Amino acid sequence: MKVNDFERMMAIGLSRRAILKTGASLGAVAAAGSVLGPFGAVYAQDASLRSQILQVPGVGKGSPTDADWQKVGEMCLEATKKNVKQGEFAGVELSFMGLNNQNLHNVLFRGFLKPWEEYTGAKITWIDLAQADYNPRLQQAIATGTVDFDILEMGAPFEGDVCGKGLASEVPDWVKAQIDMDDYVDYLKAPVGTWDGKTYRISVDGDCHNFNYRTDYFADADLAKAWKDEGHEGEWGVPKTWQKVQEVTKFLKGKSIGGMEAVGYLDAPKAWGGFGFYFLGSRATAYAKHPDDKAWLFDVDTMKPRINNPAWVRAIQDVIDALPSEAGDQLNADPGTTAFQQFLAGTGSMVSWWGDVGASARTSDSSVVGDTIGFDILPGSDDVYNSKTGQWDKLASGPNHAPNMAYLGWGVYVMARVDSDEKRKKAAWSAAAHLGGKDLALWTAAYPSGFQCYRKSQFDIKEWVSAGYDEAFISSYLASQLNSYNHPNAAIEPRIPGIFQYYSVAEDELAKIFAGQATAQAGADAIAAAWEKITDQLGRDKQIALYKASLGA
Amino acid sequence: MLHTIPQSLGPVERMIVPPGSARRGKLLLVAATVLLFGVLLAQITDVAGVTSFGFVSWRPLLSGYIIWAGALCAAQVMIRGEAGQRAAFVLPAVLFTVAMVVFPTVFGLYIAFTDWNLSAVAGRRFNGLDNLRTLFADRYFWNALLNMVYYVLSVLVQYAIAFGLALLLNAEIKARKFFRVAFLLPLMLSPVAVSWMIGKSLMEYRFGPAATLARHLGWDNPAFFSTPWLARSSIIAMDAWVSIPFMMILLLAGLQALPSEIKEAAKVDGASGWQSFKEITFPLMLPVSITVIILRVIFQLKLADIVINVTAGGPGGATDTVSSFIFREYRDRSNVGYGTMLAEFYLVIIIIFVALILKGASRWMQRDN
Repeated sequence: MKVNDFERMMAIGLSRRAILKTGASLGAVAAAGSVLGPFGAVYAQDASLRSQILQVPGVGKGSPTDADWQKVGEMCLEATKKNVKQGEFAGVELSFMGLNNQNLHNVLFRGFLKPWEEYTGAKITWIDLAQADYNPRLQQAIATGTVDFDILEMGAPFEGDVCGKGLASEVPDWVKAQIDMDDYVDYLKAPVGTWDGKTYRISVDGDCHNFNYRTDYFADADLAKAWKDEGHEGEWGVPKTWQKVQEVTKFLKGKSIGGMEAVGYLDAPKAWGGFGFYFLGSRATAYAKHPDDKAWLFDVDTMKPRINNPAWVRAIQDVIDALPSEAGDQLNADPGTTAFQQFLAGTGSMVSWWGDVGASARTSDSSVVGDTIGFDILPGSDDVYNSKTGQWDKLASGPNHAPNMAYLGWGVYVMARVDSDEKRKKAAWSAAAHLGGKDLALWTAAYPSGFQCYRKSQFDIKEWVSAGYDEAFISSYLASQLNSYNHPNAAIEPRIPGIFQYYSVAEDELAKIFAGQATAQAGADAIAAAWEKITDQLGRDKQIALYKASLGA
Repeated sequence: MLHTIPQSLGPVERMIVPPGSARRGKLLLVAATVLLFGVLLAQITDVAGVTSFGFVSWRPLLSGYIIWAGALCAAQVMIRGEAGQRAAFVLPAVLFTVAMVVFPTVFGLYIAFTDWNLSAVAGRRFNGLDNLRTLFADRYFWNALLNMVYYVLSVLVQYAIAFGLALLLNAEIKARKFFRVAFLLPLMLSPVAVSWMIGKSLMEYRFGPAATLARHLGWDNPAFFSTPWLARSSIIAMDAWVSIPFMMILLLAGLQALPSEIKEAAKVDGASGWQSFKEITFPLMLPVSITVIILRVIFQLKLADIVINVTAGGPGGATDTVSSFIFREYRDRSNVGYGTMLAEFYLVIIIIFVALILKGASRWMQRDN
């Protein structure tokens, strides 16, 4: 159904629910082989609903608004209706805690859940938190026993803190069926989302850092000629290894493209509430994550940090070496700056980030790069450090790639405090299931939402193309994610309590290193010493056990 | 005729305490105190696992305290009559301060001597002087404290500018009222808004007007936050922009309160403008100036918001402040015990520092007089 047809039906007084109900009924008849034939099929197929929601508001038609989020929420309500009667949760009040980064996350959830509230009769109150305030708010609630929320948007790294302390409610079977949990990409299946064999999480996001680059840079004839003239090895093209990323970044210093200053890779040296550490991690995994070893951040048996081993030190040194060739104020750039104020605003040719960059490139008002960006899994390395032998190995298969599964995606969790009241429990899980629905997932991956693909069903290129995406663009974008998720040497983040404390301390030391106050090795040694202290403070034995569990070791 | 006021009469007729009232008052106070300590004991034994009342929070103790406070006020009136009434006017403020300031400070002192990381399995543990030892060896804390010295010294420059502006606005200039309001506007802005409007927009490297202007003026790389001294100066400039109006308005009030006769007499005696300022205005303004500087120094010691928003303490800790460091220790690392030790230690430093300034200023003023 076209959006304008949809709007016209609205104008003549048909409710969205009625339209969908009619569509579903007609579809049922059509599926049974009735004479309605192709007419029924138009409304019947799930594919029809999926293509309809992708037209809200339409790719290239600016950023979605609250009205669009509500519209999509309404259109995706059918799954809820199969398990919940109208008005079944009248009188139930639930509290939902989540983020409001970039005016996304909770801001969208409000819109998605408004039709759900109208249908079920439940009411949701919201606790919105900035990214940096999220961790302390959650930790305080856990430590002081003041969990004042029923539903929680949370990343898998915190599962040790929440699920390990018995604060979460187990996902009921009817919810697993409603959201089709088997559709999750493999790396988000157990043990992620589970604790002691029980499932606690509804995924709404899958996470990995991918490599975003400007296609116009690497198709530019003048740059290609200059590359050759300067005697660089190989053809001018998208770097496949971090060694090449370094070379290209230094090469671009002082060059111009389209009359503008050319800039290579964009590092994020400024602290970002612990989240900035992921970006050094993306540079380091290819050096530090050996295919024969699941661990890459700590030694499994001792929790001895690897941050000061030659692999990580090389990654830190790479940043030090590249910074003078990057933008003039790069030292004051955090990841929010590199993605949204630099790369999407036209500065820089390469950046590692979550899927938000690709999702925003053509659907956000603030993006100027449009279709001139391409995607790949994170660059590899010609050699990889082997922690067991202390040697750099060159793999027979070629460069070592190790996509960084940074943060493992956002999920929705229900707190155990609702378990004592069946009505509240069902209401909370129904709300969570609505947000984790299969069709809604397609929309959140296609538009700015803070979430990227996490289901196998989201990788159907045809759906994206019919929504208005350029085929080459979206194929490249989705492939970068799917190939990261399915990579045999993916670097999986430890789900251990206090992981952001490690990252935060590292950010402080890294800031000093990047400002020239310490060498890469001395700074890395300082980080390692600080990490050892944190491990001791949190309880080494417990951390080791949880780290092993998170690696499936 | 003698017009004398008998000694026994005050401005308000004394209230006579009825017989039995004092006894009932004492009884009330004892009952409320027993209730308070009973609830306290019940809550402590509940937390310790000795009893199982099932308290979910410390709210019952708070209720007990409020009841005890009410009983204390009532008992004062019942026992002491008029004197009790006078006490009842002050007691709510005292009890509120005890609950909201004294108790948290003392409780904070206890927390400061514990190892309490919110993610730790062991929970809160008393760890003696460990936090203090960590603090003395903490390079980040001492770096932040050194930065505070620079930030505090900048108050003197802010004072000089504020004094100049106050003199200007005190003079007979055109549109004086407009300028008075205009110069006050930055004070009305939240420092967080200033961080975004100026630090992250006007001074933004790529499209910020300040950066563009700097390029036109020949500065190729107008990165305001990428080298230590430039970043520190930029933060100081932003902070000054918000704070100078505060100093200016207090100094302006002081200038307007100066007797004009002295300046007119100096003018008649042929004193130049500079002589008049140096010998009359500045000395007369010293008490106001000292007050203004001390207030600003106290505010400056709490500087955090602009730093957190614009530089996050960087580059390499060059703009870090003690408050922003404490904020990180709490917020990002959930390190409550050590964070509280930092805050309590900093409080002691501030108290000593401000006391010394006050003492020094007092001596200087006396010597001047």
